[in-house]
Amino acid sequence: MIPLVEARGIRKSFRNGEEVTEVLRGIDLTLEPGELVALMGPSGSGKSTLLSIIGLLLRPTSGQISISGERVDTLSDAERTRFRNRRLGFVFQFHHLLPDFTASENVAFPESGAAGGQSAAMLSRAHELLERVGLSDRADFRATRLSGGQKQRVAIARALMNKPNLVLADEPTGNLDRKSAEQVLELMREINRDEKSTFLICTHDEHVAAHCSRRITLVDGRVM
Amino acid sequence: MFAFAVARRYLFSNPAQTALLITGVALAVSAFVFITALIEGLAIRLTNDVTANSAHISLEPEIRVAQVLPSDDADTEAVALVSTLQRSQIRNWSATVDLILSQPQVSVVSPQISGNAFLVKGQAVAPVAVTAVEPAGLDAISPISTEIVSGEANLGGDRILIGAQLAERLGLLAGQPVLFRTDRGVDRLLTVRGIFRTGLQSLDERVAFLSIQTARPLFLLPEGVTNIEVKLVEPGEARALAAFLEDATGLQAIPWQARNETLEEALAAQGQTGTLIQMFSLISVLIGIASALMLSANRRRSEIGIMRAFGLSGRFIGEVFVFQGLLVGFMGAAAGCLVGYAFCSWLATLTRPDGTMMLPIAPTEGGYLAVMILTTLGATLASLLPARAAARLDPLEAIQQ
Repeated sequence: MIPLVEARGIRKSFRNGEEVTEVLRGIDLTLEPGELVALMGPSGSGKSTLLSIIGLLLRPTSGQISISGERVDTLSDAERTRFRNRRLGFVFQFHHLLPDFTASENVAFPESGAAGGQSAAMLSRAHELLERVGLSDRADFRATRLSGGQKQRVAIARALMNKPNLVLADEPTGNLDRKSAEQVLELMREINRDEKSTFLICTHDEHVAAHCSRRITLVDGRVM
Repeated sequence: MFAFAVARRYLFSNPAQTALLITGVALAVSAFVFITALIEGLAIRLTNDVTANSAHISLEPEIRVAQVLPSDDADTEAVALVSTLQRSQIRNWSATVDLILSQPQVSVVSPQISGNAFLVKGQAVAPVAVTAVEPAGLDAISPISTEIVSGEANLGGDRILIGAQLAERLGLLAGQPVLFRTDRGVDRLLTVRGIFRTGLQSLDERVAFLSIQTARPLFLLPEGVTNIEVKLVEPGEARALAAFLEDATGLQAIPWQARNETLEEALAAQGQTGTLIQMFSLISVLIGIASALMLSANRRRSEIGIMRAFGLSGRFIGEVFVFQGLLVGFMGAAAGCLVGYAFCSWLATLTRPDGTMMLPIAPTEGGYLAVMILTTLGATLASLLPARAAARLDPLEAIQQ
C-alpha cells in the first residue's frame, strides 16, 4: 500500500544574518492512511516546522516529501496552494475562525473561496460537519458568539470540509480548558475511527499523545 | 462572485469605520462637485454676459493689406498696390444672408452698415459708432427696444436712437434734432427718436442706431452692407460655423471667441486651477482609501493567513481588497455627488438684494459622471497596493503572529 506521507532526508535551516540555525536534521517519516499520529517533542525540537513542511506551508531546505505517492516538495507555489485546498486540512492552536462569518460559512469557506461562490450543497455539507462536531444548533452563530471549545470544533469541521487526505493539527488543545480539550481530542479520535481520516497532531502534551495510535518524537531536529 | 461577497461582509461588519471612510470620500467628492459647478457656472455666466448682447459671428469683407513682393535687387522693395477706388463692402449680402439662414445652428442674421460719425449739437461734438440695421431687426443682436428710457424704439426716415450717456453729454432729449456728420463728409439733421440705457458703457456712451435705408446715403453705400452679424442657438459652435462660412462666402468670418481672447484665456486658466483642485481632492481620496485598506489588511493578517493556509489563492485575497476599494469608492462617490448637488442647489438659491445669484454656481454642471467614474476607478486602483500586500502575505508568518 502506498504510504499517505513519505518524507525522506528532510532538512530545514533558517538564516538570521550570518547565523544559520538548523532546525530539522534529516527527518525520515512515514504515515499510513487512517493513522492518528502524535508528533511529540520539547519546545524547539522542530515539530511545528516539520508539520508546516508536510502541510506545504514551508519548503524544506533539502529532502523529499510525497503525499499519496505524489512528490509535493517540487510543486510551484500555486500548485502547493491548490494541493493544500484539495488534499489537506489544518487545525491550529488558535482557531483562526473568520469573525465576520457564521459557523457554517466558516466551515464552507475553503470550498467556497476556491470555487468562487457558496452553493447550497456546500452549506449543506458544512451543516453535516457541524452536526458531526455537535454544533448543528450553532450553525448560524457568528464565530465571535462561540466559546473557545466550540470555535475549535468549528475549526475541525472546517479542516474536514474538502474531505482531505490528511489533517494537520498544531497543538489543537493548547488553548482550551481541560473539558473542552477532552471533547476536541475525542472528536478527532471519532472522526479518525469513523471516517478513516489521517491525523498528524503536533503536541508536547502526553495526555494528547495518549489519545493517538502512534507517536513520533523529535529531539533536536531528529526523529528519536 | 465570492470575493465580492467577502469584501461586502468585511465592510459592513464594521459599520462605523466604513461609514467614516465613505464620509471621507464623500466630502472630497462633494468638494470636487462644488468646485466644478462653481467653475462651470462662472464660465457659463461670463460666456452668457459676452454672447447675450453681441454677435456670435461677424462677417466682414477681407481686409486688403499691401504685400511686399519678391525682388531681385536687394536695395529695392516692391510693394503690391492695393486699390482704394472701391469701398470695402459686401455687395451680394442678400444671397449671403440666405446661405447663413440655411444653417441649422443659426438663430438670427442681421445685415448692417457700420461706420463712424459725429453728433453735433451747437458747439458740442461727440463721436459715435453707428450701427444701421433693418428696423424690424433692431433687437436681433442686442435687446435695445426693452432698454428705451425715453421716446420709442422706432427707426426709419430721419430717426436715430442714441445711448443715455451720449444724450446727457450733448444735452439731448427724445424728440430733439441733432446734426449727424459721417466720416464720408455727409451732413444730415436727424431726430432723436429714442434714448436707451443698457448698462453697458460702451453702448450707452458711443453707439447710435439708424435704419439701413437712412444710413445708405449718409455712408455712400447705395447697395451693399459693411458687415453681417450672426447669432447662434449654441454660441459654442461659433468657431466651426465661422470656418465654414469663411470658406463658403470668401468673407472674413470672426467668431465671438476671437474677439474675446482674454476671456478665453481667463476661462482656460480658471479651468486649469479647477483641475488642480479636483486632482488634489481625488488624490486625497485615493490616499485615504489606500491607507484605510492597508490598515485593514494589517488588522486581518491572521484571517488572511488562515485563508492562504487552507488553500485560497493570493489572487482571491487580493480581489477581496480590490472589491472593498471599489465599493468604498462607488458609495463615497455616490454620496458625495448627492451631498454636492444638494449643497450647490442650496447655494444657487442664495441671492443678493438686486436679485442676482450670490455665487454663479451651476448645480447641474458638477461633473457627476466624471467624478463617479474617476473616484470608483481611482479607489479600485488605490486598493491594489493593500491588495498586493495582503495577497503576498506568508500564511505561516501571519498565523503565527
